[in-house]
Amino acid sequence: MAILDQGPPHYKKMLPPIVQENYGKWKYHEIPSPGVLKHVGESGAALYSVRVGTPRLVSIDFIRDVCVIADEYCDGFLRWTTRNNVEFLVSDEAKLKPLLEKLEAEGYSVGGTGRSVSNIVHTQGWVHCHTPATDASGVVKAVMDDLYEYFNTMKLPAKLKMGLACCLNMCGAAHCSDIAIVGVHRTPPRINHEVIRKGTEIPSLVASCPTGAIRPDPKNKSVIVNEDKCMYCGNCYTMSPAMEIYDPKNDGIAILIGGKTSNARTSPSFSRMVIPFLPNTAPRWPETTEAIRKIIELWIANANDGERVGEWVERIGWERFFTLAELPFSDMLIDDYIFSRETFRTSAQFKY
Amino acid sequence: MVFKMARGPADPEVKAKVLEYLGKVQKAKSRDVAVAIGASKSDVDNAVKELTAEDLVEYLYITTTFICLKGKVQTPD
Amino acid sequence: MTEKNTPLLDELEKGKWPSFVTEIKRAAVKSEAAGELLQVLERSYKERRGHWKHGGIVGVRGYGGGVIGRYVDEPQTYPNVAEFHTVRLLQPSGWFYNTKTLRTVCDIWEKYGSGLTNMHGSTGDIILLGCKTEHIQPIFDEFSDAGFDLGGSGSCLRTPNCCVGPGRCEHACYDTLEACYNITNEFMDELHRPMWPYKSKIKFSGCANDCTSSIARSDCSVIGTWRDTLRIDQEAVKEYAAKINIKAAVCDKCPTSCLTFNAETQELSVVGEDCTRCMHCINVMPKAIQPGKEKGATILIGGKSTIVQSAFMSWVIVPFMKMEAEDDFAEFKDLMRRIWEWWDEHGKSRERIGETIYRLGMTKFLNGIEVAPVPQMVFRPRANPYVFWNQDDLDRSGTALDGSKL
Repeated sequence: MAILDQGPPHYKKMLPPIVQENYGKWKYHEIPSPGVLKHVGESGAALYSVRVGTPRLVSIDFIRDVCVIADEYCDGFLRWTTRNNVEFLVSDEAKLKPLLEKLEAEGYSVGGTGRSVSNIVHTQGWVHCHTPATDASGVVKAVMDDLYEYFNTMKLPAKLKMGLACCLNMCGAAHCSDIAIVGVHRTPPRINHEVIRKGTEIPSLVASCPTGAIRPDPKNKSVIVNEDKCMYCGNCYTMSPAMEIYDPKNDGIAILIGGKTSNARTSPSFSRMVIPFLPNTAPRWPETTEAIRKIIELWIANANDGERVGEWVERIGWERFFTLAELPFSDMLIDDYIFSRETFRTSAQFKY
Repeated sequence: MVFKMARGPADPEVKAKVLEYLGKVQKAKSRDVAVAIGASKSDVDNAVKELTAEDLVEYLYITTTFICLKGKVQTPD
Repeated sequence: MTEKNTPLLDELEKGKWPSFVTEIKRAAVKSEAAGELLQVLERSYKERRGHWKHGGIVGVRGYGGGVIGRYVDEPQTYPNVAEFHTVRLLQPSGWFYNTKTLRTVCDIWEKYGSGLTNMHGSTGDIILLGCKTEHIQPIFDEFSDAGFDLGGSGSCLRTPNCCVGPGRCEHACYDTLEACYNITNEFMDELHRPMWPYKSKIKFSGCANDCTSSIARSDCSVIGTWRDTLRIDQEAVKEYAAKINIKAAVCDKCPTSCLTFNAETQELSVVGEDCTRCMHCINVMPKAIQPGKEKGATILIGGKSTIVQSAFMSWVIVPFMKMEAEDDFAEFKDLMRRIWEWWDEHGKSRERIGETIYRLGMTKFLNGIEVAPVPQMVFRPRANPYVFWNQDDLDRSGTALDGSKL
């Protein structure tokens, strides 16, 4: 009989001796080279963490491979980061160089520290999600291939954190990223009346619509969608499989920029939409990779030292950003949902 | 207002009432069960915990989590 | 028979970034289900749409979550992924592992599942991707014997997670690893037995850099901070002065201009009461500047993503709370119980706590959880006079000041 409620494995069993000895007594850290962190304790002890990018969706073969490496160079200890990178924890400085050579030889991607683009936090997409408007892993792969030179170097103005959400559920903080890639639907749900009659709770379905676009249709024992009111969020589809929202011809990607969650200097902020739609050009999403590269290159060329994307855009002004980026501004970029008013300019101060 | 969550063994009377109520409906949120049988929400939650371990009641996720008698509601297609 | 070639996916094996397609192919060597996943995915790439259906009821005895049902939409064509459920396992705090533990995960998953995983899910769990209904109970039993437990799913406390904290970070203002472990264990009922209107998440970040992005994606964000003034080591400041422009890189970027660098004496001074503890100066000069001594955390409530009423960031409920393992995090646990009880009583189905508070008003919430209002909770006070005066506090006897009847 299985034990219930035993909780997670105890972290203390997972900590290498150097961490146990210096627990809570770290003094400072440096980044000796891209992908390598050096943490120094008050005792003078130094721990090197070597960061390696992963696709997040990994096989058990991959996990066993990194275990072999960790056994050889890290006394069997390693960790994962919040952004799905692996970190090899090296307590013996003599093993650092051999480890880096080994990783290089085996084709691992070392990087993602300091002023670099880190791994893109992302969702399941077509691999395993039931409401996606785009794929997740494929877009991330295409974008990271394109931005690879910024992963294994630290030549950006500041750190760059990206997120991808394959629908508006936005699993994974995409809405507060320096650059967010968000899957969007653009057409109203198609109603399968038979499925609704078979067992959908109509009051819950009606209540699920944030704009009140769904109303009961007692005659049909189904519902009616007021298409003018629908903003294609897909919440009704989450409530009932009868409200099919996917639309291969019209689903795609929106780009939002300038969000962050850190409090450093400026308060945490939401990402803002700058490109309302890019097509789902599988398998490598060239429109999306190009659009993101352009924004990043503009940021590199114009940002002050240490300025994150949102800090840069807020300093120069969003109106100026659109001019510099040569991105079309349209009514699609003006908020017309619940909390829109705070985005309207209530001032006579602006640029061109 | 009492804030402490229920701990320790569940009240057999509450368990019986929960089973009786779930016999009359397809599925319910445990708060609705608490209101219907006049018990506190935490007592119902504690009763449900034991009833699921005894395989008499099960949890059901249909956009939010409900409870129902074991096997009463089939997987929605 | 379905087409086995995957020309579109093969394009995603090119390039320098590690490829998820390669990973699925590796799993497919041993798992027919992983092989079939590849075919379903290739078809999605061709048709530009997903092929997975809503989950149904799957679970283990005694729990109301931890496994998410997933079914392919054409089970006849793809029988090996007709059922392709996700298992969530509680991760160790900070995602630290020894290789023995990881190999145990791999061995059990190889026996029953597709061999595919997410390390890790957005909420923090170890995600095991793809198994059959009949194997769920045996998978749980075997993981349970090996010292693992299921994570949260459904209308429950979702698996808490935390930053690396004192395990490897000089900024940690409280022990995030212990807090996450201790508090996850405290709320096992709330995590395994969904009893609420909707999901509720907790994330623990050791400082205001907020590496878990708790403020954006957890209903309760626990962000490390300090109550007194940051500490400056003037000798270390002098060392930095030789390498960086302290005025430009630190003082000029301080959001409250509370730092001054004296170029003559090479000393850095702070106006403590002006500092908002943003972490910028500490990030740039970790050897020279440290958080104060009186450490704890800010508790913020209400964060969530876009669906449905727009994204919310958590807002301050308790500006400073001690987070000590010695007292078993008692104050925090007590506060969370009050918060959940209030939400459980007032929240509508599928309403996150931030939405419930927004609908009913912050004042009602604060009264409900018995937390006194303080100015740190708001950026600025209200601009309208529409106060819900408590009528019981007023003299409504109907008599005017001059004694005449109203």
